[in-house]
Amino acid sequence: MTELWVKNACVIDPIRGINGEIMDIAIRDGRIVESVSDRADVIDAHRCLTLPGGIDSHTHVSGTKVNFGRYMSPEDMRAGRTKRRGKMHVTSGYYVPTTFGNSYRYSAMGYTTLLEGAMAPLEARHTHEEFTATPHQDMLANTLFDGNWAVMDAVREHDVRKAAAVVAWTLNAARGYAIKLTNPGGTEAWGWGDDLTSIHEQVPHFAVTPAEIITTLIQANELLRLPHSVHLHCNNLGKPGNYQTTLDTFELVPDLNPARQSLYATHVQFHAYGGGTWRNICSKAEEITRSINSKPQIVMDMGQIMFCRTMTMTADGPMEFNLHCLHHNKWSNHDVELETGSGIIPVTYSKKSAVNCIMWAIGLELALLTKSPWQCLLETDNPNGAPFVKYPEIIGLLMSKRYRDEECATLHAETEKRTSLWALERELDWHEIAVMTRAGQAKALGIASQGKGHLGIGAEADIAIYPIRTDMVDPAREYRKVVEGFQKTRYTIKRGRVVSRDGEIIVDGANATFWVNAKVPEDIRMENDKEFIRRFEQFYTVRMSNYPVQDLYLPRGRCIETEAML
Amino acid sequence: MIEQDVVCPFCGCLCDDLEIETDGARIVRVKNGCSLAEATFMNDTRLPAPIRRTEAGWEEISYDEAISETAEILREADRPLLYGWSSTHGETQSIGVHIAELIGAVIDNTSTVCHGPSILAIQEVGHPGCTLGQVKNRADVIIYWGCNPVEAHPRHMSRYTTFATGFFVPEAQRERTVIVVDTRRTDTTNIADEFVQIEHGGDYAVLSALRAIVRGKAHVIPASVAGVAKEQLVRIAEICKNAKFGAIFFGLGLTMSRGKYKNVRNAIELTDELSRHTKFVISPLRGHGNVYGSNEVFTWMTGYPFAVDFARGIAFYNPGETTAVDILRRGECDAALIVASDPGANFPRAAAAHLAKIPTVVIDPHVNATTALSRIHIPCTAAGIDAAGTAYRMDGIPIRLKKVIDRGYPDDAEILRKIYDRLDGGMGP
Amino acid sequence: MRVILESKVRKKPSLPIEAEAIIPRNFLKGTDLVVFEGNKERTLSELFWIFVEGTAVSPENIEVVLKGDTSRIKRVGEYMDTGTILIEGDIGMHCGNFMSGGTIEIRGSADAWLGREMRGGTIVCRGNAGHYCATGYRGEKKGMQGGTVEVFGNAGDFCAEYLAGGTVHIHGHTGDFPGVEMRGGELLIEGDATRPCGNMKNGSCVILGTVHDLLPTFEKSGTHLLPERNLEMDVYTGDVANRGKGTMMVASRALRR
Repeated sequence: MTELWVKNACVIDPIRGINGEIMDIAIRDGRIVESVSDRADVIDAHRCLTLPGGIDSHTHVSGTKVNFGRYMSPEDMRAGRTKRRGKMHVTSGYYVPTTFGNSYRYSAMGYTTLLEGAMAPLEARHTHEEFTATPHQDMLANTLFDGNWAVMDAVREHDVRKAAAVVAWTLNAARGYAIKLTNPGGTEAWGWGDDLTSIHEQVPHFAVTPAEIITTLIQANELLRLPHSVHLHCNNLGKPGNYQTTLDTFELVPDLNPARQSLYATHVQFHAYGGGTWRNICSKAEEITRSINSKPQIVMDMGQIMFCRTMTMTADGPMEFNLHCLHHNKWSNHDVELETGSGIIPVTYSKKSAVNCIMWAIGLELALLTKSPWQCLLETDNPNGAPFVKYPEIIGLLMSKRYRDEECATLHAETEKRTSLWALERELDWHEIAVMTRAGQAKALGIASQGKGHLGIGAEADIAIYPIRTDMVDPAREYRKVVEGFQKTRYTIKRGRVVSRDGEIIVDGANATFWVNAKVPEDIRMENDKEFIRRFEQFYTVRMSNYPVQDLYLPRGRCIETEAML
Repeated sequence: MIEQDVVCPFCGCLCDDLEIETDGARIVRVKNGCSLAEATFMNDTRLPAPIRRTEAGWEEISYDEAISETAEILREADRPLLYGWSSTHGETQSIGVHIAELIGAVIDNTSTVCHGPSILAIQEVGHPGCTLGQVKNRADVIIYWGCNPVEAHPRHMSRYTTFATGFFVPEAQRERTVIVVDTRRTDTTNIADEFVQIEHGGDYAVLSALRAIVRGKAHVIPASVAGVAKEQLVRIAEICKNAKFGAIFFGLGLTMSRGKYKNVRNAIELTDELSRHTKFVISPLRGHGNVYGSNEVFTWMTGYPFAVDFARGIAFYNPGETTAVDILRRGECDAALIVASDPGANFPRAAAAHLAKIPTVVIDPHVNATTALSRIHIPCTAAGIDAAGTAYRMDGIPIRLKKVIDRGYPDDAEILRKIYDRLDGGMGP
Repeated sequence: MRVILESKVRKKPSLPIEAEAIIPRNFLKGTDLVVFEGNKERTLSELFWIFVEGTAVSPENIEVVLKGDTSRIKRVGEYMDTGTILIEGDIGMHCGNFMSGGTIEIRGSADAWLGREMRGGTIVCRGNAGHYCATGYRGEKKGMQGGTVEVFGNAGDFCAEYLAGGTVHIHGHTGDFPGVEMRGGELLIEGDATRPCGNMKNGSCVILGTVHDLLPTFEKSGTHLLPERNLEMDVYTGDVANRGKGTMMVASRALRR
């Protein structure tokens, strides 16, 4: 039995409605309890800001595509190199760090749970191997279905039950957590070097549209009672004028689940562009947030970009190729048979570029114009918009108009004309930041019931104590202190153990991987479907028996079982 | 007993549809595999126990003794080299990296002598590729450049490309155009619809010319490039541009001939150029069964796919400087641990010779040419035969190798973990 | 001030030494510097006999002289910004990495990656230079960006790869692919060159000797007289395998396809 007692903590715990109370937290064997014995280890938080451990609900840190980003970037590995020290392994890299680099840096910032944004089922084993080497965070994997042949066949046949059964089988085989759609239908078209330009355009050879894929899988998701909603990377990412596609997509979404959203729209900054060319691109954040504010069934995340050199990586192969044709830098592409695609290119976001400045402003506008912080979560689509180590700066920008004004003064002159950021007075408070960096994620991902994202009795003791006294810092003026404070916790506690102290990792990690087993009735299980098996054996290049991820790849797997309503 | 869907660990194809029959202790029959697979499973003779070189010849020693002495050799070294890793599974590779960071070693894998240049090229321009199933299901134009899959990857064509029935290519043989580029006629060129014979060392020039033609600059190209007539180049450019889905596969003929990584870079840039007209992809034909896995494991742990130098504590990478062949040729390293590979057979003579001058330990299921240069040889399991573990196919798909028999040998991961423990005095990586 | 470093005899002379600490500026505060031999940390005095003559108040007045067997010493002059380094014999890899100012003179030959990612200053090598002279790092888009590298002997393969700025002058021959991926700067080769300027995007390269295996993707755009040498040069634009706008001039008498 191990016990820990955190006293004098200034707690903000939005899920439980606690906002800045000074209180003590008792922990036994990794969970929060009513009280502990006097033999417990004691941490005095000295009234510092204490939050549930940070949760990133959309980041790219593990798997085939991320590792290929590393593989092709020895130039980035020269940054961020640290030696083996104490319990810390060697790390390399800034925007595509090694697994240990990701894990240590997230931990230093108080993050204890991460959702990998995109995992191709065929390559799931790889993602899980890297999860094991990302030891300080609990991990979840978005599983890609955007170009899944069996799903598209079911959609064409208007068979929601079949689509749900395919999803259930695949999530189980891949040990995945949620349904991810990346440019639905577009990745299959990219198998021929094409893309789709509207959600009502048909996927070549499959006679289905992105809109049909999206709506069918939203229904299937609820039939399977999955903890998270469909997680969507909309069509037409990064194209001037794409906001209309985004709005059209939002209009498709019914409100099906009282406990959470029915659609999670990711990195919406990249989907909120007006204009028709790169010359006249402008912000449509107002239109997007007007839609979001009237649709509680949708949660989005920012997809904020920050000015730096970084790497874009996504399952959206055609988008990456278009970007490559603009940048003329290196380009990798990796299409996955019968499932999805992916692309990677390095980019530099520069204040000299009007387009980049507008993108930067749009992300902030989205966060400031969305009324409920529960509906707009903070992230950068790491590392696409910026590496996650930039989150503290984004927090600073959202909390301080003065900081924004100072930054705005350094931007390309066009930015002011084509965005509304200059006019936005709103400054977010500590509670709203806590929602946007952990509580909102826990609710959206459906893991609050797993004891994530809050500090109630029985919750997992994942806690971040920041060297910030909210009663002594005025974030609007002293935004530098806010930024510094969120860069390095005083303590990061993971399942009741102090894992990081003042940015130094002090123990070996022992993370868990959450995955979902949605049980469907015997008669519609894919492993009993002769046609499914026949097509699998004929068109995949691995045998069906070698496809599912074995349990030993999840040494600390946490299965969430659901009973499908089929 | 018959086991189905067994994965062959021999080459980068990792065919996973083999049927292996065992009688408990031995493999008696291999079905579906090529001749290389059959040899891998059937001709598996090993040392009964670790051996150590003495004045009088080899002596058998215990595993404990062999492990202690190996740890001692590594501990004493000022520039230890850990090399190989391509014929074993990921867990072993990962412990190898941990040992390297612990003792400040150079760790390198067999990419050094095969597709290292491809990696360098990819690091310059990226890699437009795909899984093999994309090619199987879609490709109507296939190019084999500087490789001979009929001999080196015997089932590549039947399982993944030329002869494989694909969803959009139901009549593979009739619907696919096969182009083979090589300096000489081989069994593979005999299958070609179009054979392009290039003078030795002429690959770069031919690739440049093709790129220029695809870009509409044919007027610049002379009548003949490295022995290839301009008309043929123009014809090939047209076939490629008119493809629905084109795939280039290349081998050591491209990576190890004059120009090395610049050849590969040029082929990738040709693929990039063709992608502006139609769908085109390119992929290296990787040799060793899990060489790609060693690249993957090294990359997520250190940031670099091969040739990683931990001498300064941090990871440093610079092929040409930190590659095993170069370190040996310059006589830098003063101890070597060779795992799951045979540099004695594959390295240039001068590089291999240095292994005999320093304490070299081999951990490998089989006696090989490196054994003759070594001080200690520790036999172990063979991944995919009597040990299970992860391997990565040449296209990045991770597959679990199976254990089909038990021969009583320790897993190389277990041996390495013990070596790590002796070096660290701790709990292991 | 002169700092003379004379290498001591080592038990394992083949072990590489990494000595990025050897730049003039560092000797302002004394000679208590750290270098690395293989995976072991050493003090400068463990590996060198150190002699200091005179004093200096600013680094530009410091000259560092290396004597003895210095052929395995890497990274001498890395990030050097001022002062002088004189190497009497051969020098190991990466001499003058990221150098931005000052002068390095090598009386012998230099190993590979001489002046890698250099931004300014001058390197003069009296002997030969190895592969990748005046280039960049793996995966990086720009190689040398400024300064001057002059080699009186020959240079190895990939000389001036990714050259983006500054001047590279090779008096002797170069190996395969000089100026490959060039995107700026000037490369002058007085001797012969094989497959020069592959995939060049910009910059200019002048070759006075014989060109072997001229690539088929350079478009001849005219001739030009080099007045100082009274040589007629064929002028090419390329590489047309890409959008190349580089200029390559080859002495008209010397072309070999």
